[in-house]
Amino acid sequence: MTDELDLLRRANPVPDDGPRFGDGPLDHRAEHRLGRLLDDRSTGRRIPLRLGGRFRPAWALAAVAAVAALTSVLLLGGPAATPAIAAPRPLAVLADSTPVPLDRLAERAATAAADGAPALRKGTHVQSWSLGMSDTEPPVTLPEERIVRWTADGRHTELVVATDPRHPGRPVLTDEDGEPRLVDDGQVISRRAFPPSWSDAPPAARPPHDTGRLRAYLTEAVHGEIRTTPELLAATAQLLDHWTLGARESAALARLLADAEGLRPVGGVTDRLGRPGQAYVYDDGSGVRHMLILDPSTGAVLGLEETFTTDQPEYGVRAGDVMQYSAWMR
Amino acid sequence: MSDDEIFAAAYREHYWAVSRYVARRLDGRTSEVEEVVAEVFTVAWRRRADLPASPLPWLYGVARNCLANAVRGQGRRRRLVDRLGNDHTAHRRHVVSGPGTETPGDWVHEALARLAPGDQEVLRLTAWEELGIDEVAVALGCGRRAATMRLHRARRRLRAEIDRLCPALADANASKDHGHD
Repeated sequence: MTDELDLLRRANPVPDDGPRFGDGPLDHRAEHRLGRLLDDRSTGRRIPLRLGGRFRPAWALAAVAAVAALTSVLLLGGPAATPAIAAPRPLAVLADSTPVPLDRLAERAATAAADGAPALRKGTHVQSWSLGMSDTEPPVTLPEERIVRWTADGRHTELVVATDPRHPGRPVLTDEDGEPRLVDDGQVISRRAFPPSWSDAPPAARPPHDTGRLRAYLTEAVHGEIRTTPELLAATAQLLDHWTLGARESAALARLLADAEGLRPVGGVTDRLGRPGQAYVYDDGSGVRHMLILDPSTGAVLGLEETFTTDQPEYGVRAGDVMQYSAWMR
Repeated sequence: MSDDEIFAAAYREHYWAVSRYVARRLDGRTSEVEEVVAEVFTVAWRRRADLPASPLPWLYGVARNCLANAVRGQGRRRRLVDRLGNDHTAHRRHVVSGPGTETPGDWVHEALARLAPGDQEVLRLTAWEELGIDEVAVALGCGRRAATMRLHRARRRLRAEIDRLCPALADANASKDHGHD
């Protein structure tokens, strides 16, 4: 069949064999620029060289211990022989709960932000469950925990661990090497240290705590307009994957979300980390339901869940399968 | 080889691929391509110690950030011009009337333009730069799994937009799919 990627390939505006920019020798201007770079050593002095690779900060080792501790704190029960590979179900709304309008929660967030605590922190701590799909294999759920920490001199480190806090001690699926395979709970998937870097562009830039400016910030972070509520939710996830929001930023974000169209309060939930939350649902009409989970007292975003609402037999996906779940922590 | 030699080799090998990457995203403003590409390789030169063994996806990632900075500057100008209401590109969406009146490229571009920028980029990297999913992950600065997920979602959304713009094509594919069952 003519799939969407085939159509897009045919619509390539600058094909590899086109009249402009085709492969070949450099033209004289490109050659001149290369010569200037190689000659002008001053351009290379802004960022220290040779900081990547084998550099391993002490915090990364400490973070491994922190992850292990976190896992044991968050979860009940002990090690078991069965792997933690069952596809999680969507969060269930608590039967006796009363939905809280998002507007009211945004007001609570504003009140909670009055003293400015907790403060904004660069970096993130997120536990995620992602559905790995392929054309030929059944889908699998891949859980991992990711911690990004920044230091005052602009360096940052990223630690990714295969773990499912709902099933402590059980083997966990990962596909970091390309194919899904079982590894021990808590296995470090990657640990990377990055040299100093700076940017004044979102999402690397410090997020504002004014609603209008935060919306502009998110628009820049996604490199375009935010036209729909799912786009706002995606921008929210991108923000939270870079920053641990303070109370003021959370309040601004809660107001933005409250002003978005179509987020429907459905009641209380207990999230996958065992935290109480208020859930707001948006059905995007194209087969995915988005659930936003907020802290009921502070309005902070606790998590986002995306669930298929229609079968997708080509990927072995059924309605009700959770495509992606992210739970952010401080 | 020294870092400088490795950089020079990458520059010569990938200069035109990076130029195509930038040109594809500047909507025909080819006069700006050379300037942005120069910025890409200046940034890459400063970070030449980080240059990976297969540098092209990494260079695309650098180019993406350079383009974002360039578009950021243009965006302020664009917002001003939009307010004046006479910018042709601001009204491009309304000019394209449908698949029956345009070449296929136009309405596929129109379908693509209706997607979120993140969806557009993962699709372009896959279809136009012909990157594999591991390379897409490098270019986007995310994990392989996240890249897979983004591509899956973006394909689904592009399909929906294409079907919306060109129901006849959707019907044809549906009957072909049915034939495969």
